[in-house]
Order: sequence, then structure tokens, then C-alpha cells
Amino acid sequence: MLILLQGGRVVDPAHDRDAIGDVFIEDGRIVAAPTDGRRPDATYDLRGKIVMAGGVDLHSHIAGSNVTLAREIMPELPALAAAGGVDIAPSPATWGSYATGLRYAQMGYTTVIEPALIPTHAIEAQIELAAIPIIDVGALGILGNDDYSLGLLRGTGDASELQDYVAWTLSHAKCLGLKVINAGGAEAFKFNVRTFSLDDEVPDYGVTSRAIMRAMQKAVTDLGVPHPVHLHCNNLGVAGNADTALATMEAAEGLPIHLAHIQFYGYGKEGPKGLSSAAPRIAEGIARHKNVSVDIGQVMFGQTVTISGDILRQFDGRNAANPKKWGLSQGEGNGTGVVPYKYRAKSFVNAVQWSVGLEIMLLADDLWRVLFSTDHPNGALFVRYPEIIQLLMDRNERARWLERLPQDAREVSNLAAIARELTYAEIAIITRAGPARLLGLQDRGHLGPGAVADVAVYVERDDKKAMFEKADYVFKDGRLVVRDGAVTEVTFGRAYHVAPGFDSKIERRVADFYDRYYGAKVSTFGVPDDIAARPHRFAKVPCQS
Amino acid sequence: MGDGAGALERAAELLGGARLPVIGGLLTDIAGAQAALALAQKLGGVVDHAAGTALTRAARIRRETGVCAASFGEVRNRADVVVILGDAPLDQDPALLDTLFPPHDGLPRPGNAKRQLIALGGRKPSAPKGVPLTSIEIGKGGLPAAIAMLAAGVGQRRFAFKDKSLQDKIESVADKLHTAAFAVFVYSAAELEEPVLHTVLQIVRDLSNKTRAAMLALPAPGNGEGVNLCSTWTCGLPVRTSFARGVPVHDGWLYAADRLIASGEADALLWIDGLDGKPSALPGRVPTVVLSARSGSHRRGDIVIEVANAGTDHEAALYLPAITGIGMVRPSGQGSGKPTVAAVLTRLSEIIDARGGR
Repeated sequence: MLILLQGGRVVDPAHDRDAIGDVFIEDGRIVAAPTDGRRPDATYDLRGKIVMAGGVDLHSHIAGSNVTLAREIMPELPALAAAGGVDIAPSPATWGSYATGLRYAQMGYTTVIEPALIPTHAIEAQIELAAIPIIDVGALGILGNDDYSLGLLRGTGDASELQDYVAWTLSHAKCLGLKVINAGGAEAFKFNVRTFSLDDEVPDYGVTSRAIMRAMQKAVTDLGVPHPVHLHCNNLGVAGNADTALATMEAAEGLPIHLAHIQFYGYGKEGPKGLSSAAPRIAEGIARHKNVSVDIGQVMFGQTVTISGDILRQFDGRNAANPKKWGLSQGEGNGTGVVPYKYRAKSFVNAVQWSVGLEIMLLADDLWRVLFSTDHPNGALFVRYPEIIQLLMDRNERARWLERLPQDAREVSNLAAIARELTYAEIAIITRAGPARLLGLQDRGHLGPGAVADVAVYVERDDKKAMFEKADYVFKDGRLVVRDGAVTEVTFGRAYHVAPGFDSKIERRVADFYDRYYGAKVSTFGVPDDIAARPHRFAKVPCQS
Repeated sequence: MGDGAGALERAAELLGGARLPVIGGLLTDIAGAQAALALAQKLGGVVDHAAGTALTRAARIRRETGVCAASFGEVRNRADVVVILGDAPLDQDPALLDTLFPPHDGLPRPGNAKRQLIALGGRKPSAPKGVPLTSIEIGKGGLPAAIAMLAAGVGQRRFAFKDKSLQDKIESVADKLHTAAFAVFVYSAAELEEPVLHTVLQIVRDLSNKTRAAMLALPAPGNGEGVNLCSTWTCGLPVRTSFARGVPVHDGWLYAADRLIASGEADALLWIDGLDGKPSALPGRVPTVVLSARSGSHRRGDIVIEVANAGTDHEAALYLPAITGIGMVRPSGQGSGKPTVAAVLTRLSEIIDARGGR
């Protein structure tokens, strides 16, 4: 069936296209305009509307034992968020798997990456992901605080075995890439270390955070995994930690690295309260290091809950819990910390955080490397993306928000001086084309022939929040799944992963390791193809080596 | 008794026509739990698990205060002081001490103290070879008081107890906890009441201010933890949740299967018993459909549908203690040829749809 999306403004920055035009869909793919005079079977009149590729979110915690621990601790999250004015049904079910897929689709998102899959809990994560309707997914597997990796790094430093281990882990857990969270810090916490920086050594193992990061970068690069190491740096949330972020950029020594939720590292120590926006320094660092990409981790005021494998940091943050309850689950590798949190516009610290994220995005010289995220739910719930898009596209809206902030926060922020308003094409870069490219998902994030027919159509409005909250149409694999902001058909998508090759000797070694130290069989956490009992659930993304 | 299609039809008629059906037992794998939750949503029914009391208790602690847990693997490798609370942990897993104290070195761990075992308030266990054991026996029902004393001791709050010898022993345990690098309490939520669980959690948090400490719960039997997690990611709430009002509502007392049946509020029961392990007694008398993987787990008059045994007859996702999470279990044998719980529930749902019952 040939579908014609006719006469909309087609915003497709991957092809430098931003003009009124047509998009054709056939058999789930974008196709070129037929040259044989064939008439479309269905035509959508999209005059006055914006046509973009479906949204691609590269960092959103939507599944796995860590997320479900947070659901267990905070079933009231949707109710508290709703009470604070967020447009969300006040039911615990609202942050369950099913509702997650529907809401993403309503906003025009069609691919979402879960960025923290615990390898030993891969089964739960992949089953949860498979329960999320409509969207395609992928997961990043966590290593770098696990005893197997650290044992290799302490030992003879056999880089090839680490490379095999990374490859085995990504294949075994069916992950799209590698996540490293406060490299070595979570392991150090097990030895009762309470702060951990780039050149601190993991007790007993004697390996630094820097060395772990470098070894993982080398492994991922040599394996040809398209997505670079997705790094959660040390010292998250600490005043003055812009130094850590910048030192980490240097430490990457030119190899590709993705720094997650960079806003949480955008803090200087200036000002009367010892906290200031270091966004200009961060933006300058990103501009200078072409091997570096980031996502923002924008903060929005309101109730949320923080979920992180940075268990050291989460433990440190426990006293700021709101409501006053928190959870730590110390497990293999990183473990998980859950701390409910409410960002308040009247809080100096929270206001600075809010400003820093927007500043970094608005100061970016290359938005292909500065990507959109809230680190859902850590900075804000993903349902708040439309508000952030509005802030990025509308300086007057920013000015209205700034007025609500404490005077002292405004004094250490640079936001008032920034006039830039992002264009539709720039929004499409940071929410679609950029993340897809960085993830190695070449068939999405754009509207070129051959791309998967994931398309979002929005009615153009001055109120960008209203515009991006509810897509007018969403096509997933060429099927209409959302019309006028409401889901019309519930489909299920695919999970993308890499399967880099490895020396099969690693399988025996890892099996022996888990048997000896955990009394566990590795087969129990290997993800089978039929885990979702649906055909073609998994799709491989090729490695480049 | 009924066979195949006839039983399915009668089950669909009973459940589709019920005012408030309860789906109980839930001794099944994750796929079975997912299908059961979907059916409960369709029917406007209630889900509960055979271990619902313990699951609900633990869920409420998480909701009210949180959690400070360690995985089985972390405890096995890194805990230098392991405190077993009560009898339930070893009753439930008689091999527990041998797996927690393997006869070889573990992974690098904090401190260099010899690993030791403390048994508080249960029968004196036999410690694995070479593991120092301190066993503190307490009279029946005395465990909550002993744990409260321990909390006072750890918090360096003064307390006095009529049994001076017991008080001294508890104070010496508090000292050991303070000097431990990583102290872990092993317990079962089926044995400890909520206030006691809160106290243990508070001890762990007090210790954590200076050292490392955590809790390790014995998982609820019958894949209780797995089913409970599945319920949570599906609808945001643990078991003992009702879908009768459209949106899910959880209440550990109101939506207990046995209470709903005893009170007459529930008018039909779908009992799922599709796992190896100890059978659970069916709650009170009410028209019942039993999905059973074993003979004899039903009563006269029940509609019985035979199902396969998850994990032994077919591949199944189940909560596994060794990884403190959901893992995949592959059968070694040929399988029974019987349908899975998930397949039966999905078919049942289709028949109910076809009948236009809901």
C-alpha cells in the first residue's frame, strides 16, 4: 500500500531538507516518489503541518529491575506529579510499561533506549521492554564496576579478553551498546568509599576510573560497536564538577565517548553560595572535543524519582529524598539507588540546574553532538519534553520562567543573555536525527528513501508545548498508530542490539566465574530470541569492524 | 472434572459472568503472570499470590520507608557478618548456609576479618566447617523484642531487659555489627511482622552511616517475587490489586484472596498452580477454576484444566535466588505436552471475548 503524506513542511535535517513537500510510504518504509504515475492508496493532506521522522530518545529509564524497584518505592509518583500540574493520569499504572509506550507514541516518539540494563537482570529488562507497546527499543548494558572486568584490568591487562568479555556481555544480554556508570565508584562503595573521582583507585583492584573508562572505550571501538561508550561520569551533582566533566573529555584522548546527562556536571563553584552555572565552559569543551557527544538530562520543576546505578552518589543523596524514603539495592556490578526527589522552582540549587541544561543546549555549536534528554525520570518525567521544546524554541517563554526563579539563582545563570531560539530543524536534530546517528540506527531519525516509516506529524502552533504534546498523526513502520493525539492502534515494535564476535573461550571463563563466585549459571541470564513470544522481536545492528 | 475444550468453555462462562473474580495462587512463570494480569484487567478482577501476605508486607515497607538490600551474590562474597533472623530462612532453604559460606575464597571484600555467622532467635544451626557461629536462642515469640534491643544497642541507646544474660549477648552482637565491614541480615518477610522489618531496616541504616550493611530476604516461594515484579511493571502495583474500578487499586488486606472469598465479595476463583514445589491450599469455597500442573491440587466440583509445569516442562522466566532476580530456566526433560498457563489464559480470554461476556 502506497501512502502519500502531502503538502506538509518536511523537516529532515539529515538531508538538509526543510520545505513544503511530500513523503511517500510503502511496505513500512519511506520510498521515493513513484515515477510510474502510480496513484497512492491513501493520501493525507498535511498542509499547515510539520512532518518529522519519529522521535528517538537515547537515554530514558523505562525498564528493568532498577526501574521497577523505583516503581515499588514510588507508586504515588504519577499522583504527586499530577498534583503539581503535570498532565498525567494520577494512577500508578501511568508509569507502567503499557502506558509508557502509548504516551511516547502520542508525542511522536517511535524509538527509545533504556540506558542501564544490568547484565545479570537482562531477562527482566528485556521482558519489560517487550511489554512496552508501539515503540522500538534498545538497551545499553552496564559494565565497569563488575568484578570480572575489574579482575581483568587488575591482572595482566589482557585487552583482548576484556574485549571478548564486552562482546559476550552485549551479545548475551542483547544490548545495543555499553554503559559505564561512575567507573569503579560503585565497586569502591562496596569497600565503604564515599567519594570517587577520575584518578581514584578501586580498593583491592588498584584500578582508576580513568583506566576503566579508557579500557572500555578501546574495547567498544575495536569491536566496532556503533554507539560509543555511554558514560555516566564521576562526581554527579557536586558543585565544581564541571572540572570532572572536562577532565573526562580530555581523558577520552580522542576516542569516541558519550557523556550522559551532562547538565548534572555543569556546575561551577562561583557565587556567594558556592554553586554556579558552568554551562559556557562545558559547551566550549564539547565544541573543542569532536569525539565527545552528550545528552542533556534537563531538569524540570516538579515531583520525580531518581534511579541510578551510581549507588555511591545515590547513597550520598539519601537525605534529600522527597518524600522521605529511599532505596539501595547492592548487587553484581553497580547495583541501584532510588531516591525520590522534587525539583522546586524556589530552590536556588534546582533553579541553577534547570538553567544549566538549557544553557548547554542553547550554547551548542554542533547540536548533532548535544542531544535532548531529561534522563527520565531523573531530571524530569519524559512527558515533559514538550515543555522543554517550548523553552528551547521560545525565548519569551524562558523569560517568563526566569521571573519565577530566586534572584540569587538568576545571578549565577547565563540564560537571560541567550537570545537563541532553536528552529524546527534543530529540534529534529536533537530529538531524532542526532540520536539515531549516534546509536548507529541508520534506518531512522530521517525521512530518506529506505528509512523505516516512523513519521510524526504535528500541527504547527505558536504554543510549542501544545504542538509537541500530541502529534496529529504518527506512523510506526508505516502503520497509523496515533491520530489527533490519541492512539488508534496498539502495535509492538522491535528491540535493536549488536552481536559483536568474540573468542568462544570467554564463554567457559565467564561460566566458571559465575559458578564459583555466585553459584549461578550464566544461561539463566542469557536472553533468548523468543523472550517476547513474538516473531522478529530482535533485530541486529551491524558492527563496523 | 472436565477435559480440554469443555472445561475451557465452562471456565470462560464462570469467569466471564462473575461479579468479582479472583485470580489467586499465581504459582506460575512471568508469561503466566502477564496473561493473568491481562485477564484480571479484562474481567475487572483481583490478582493475589499464594505468598501474598509476605509479598504485601515487604511491598508496604518499600513504599513507606524504602529498602537497603544486597543481592545473594554480594552477601556470599562480601559480607563478613551474616545474621540469620529466626527460623524461616533455614526452613525455607536448608542449604542456605552452605551457599552463603562456600568453602573457597570469594571476591575481594572490605576488611580482612574472618567471615562469621550469627543466628538470632532461631534453632541453633550447624555452621559450615570453619565458620564461627554465635547462636542466640530466644524463647518463643521473643524475636521482635530481641531485634528491638539490638536496634537500641546498635543505636547506642540504653535499654534494660530482665534477662541480663540475653541483654549481654545482644549487646555483644551490636558490637560485632559496629566492627563489621559489611553486616547483612538474612530474613523472611513471611516470619517478621511489619514493625519488626522496619526495625531491621533502621538498624541497617544506622550502621550504614559509618560502615556497610544490608538486608537479604529469602524470596517468596512459588515465583512470588517474579509475579510481584511483573505486576509492578505492568500496572504499577504489587499483587493484591483489584481492577474492578478500571484503574488498578492495591490493598493488602482488602484484596487478599482468602478474605474476599470468606466474605462472599468474590464470586469466582481462578486458581493457578503451574509450578513445582510445595502446593498451596486453595482458599475457601467458591465456584473455582483450577489450572493445575499436578494431580490432587483441586477439589470436587472445581473446573480443572491441566497445564504444563513451568521450568520443568517448558522454558520459563522465574525469579532465581542465585541472581536475586528474574532468570530463564530451561527444561532438561521432554516436556509434558500440556499447554502453558499463559497459553490457557490467552485462550480463555479469547473465548470470553467471543462470548461477549465483557
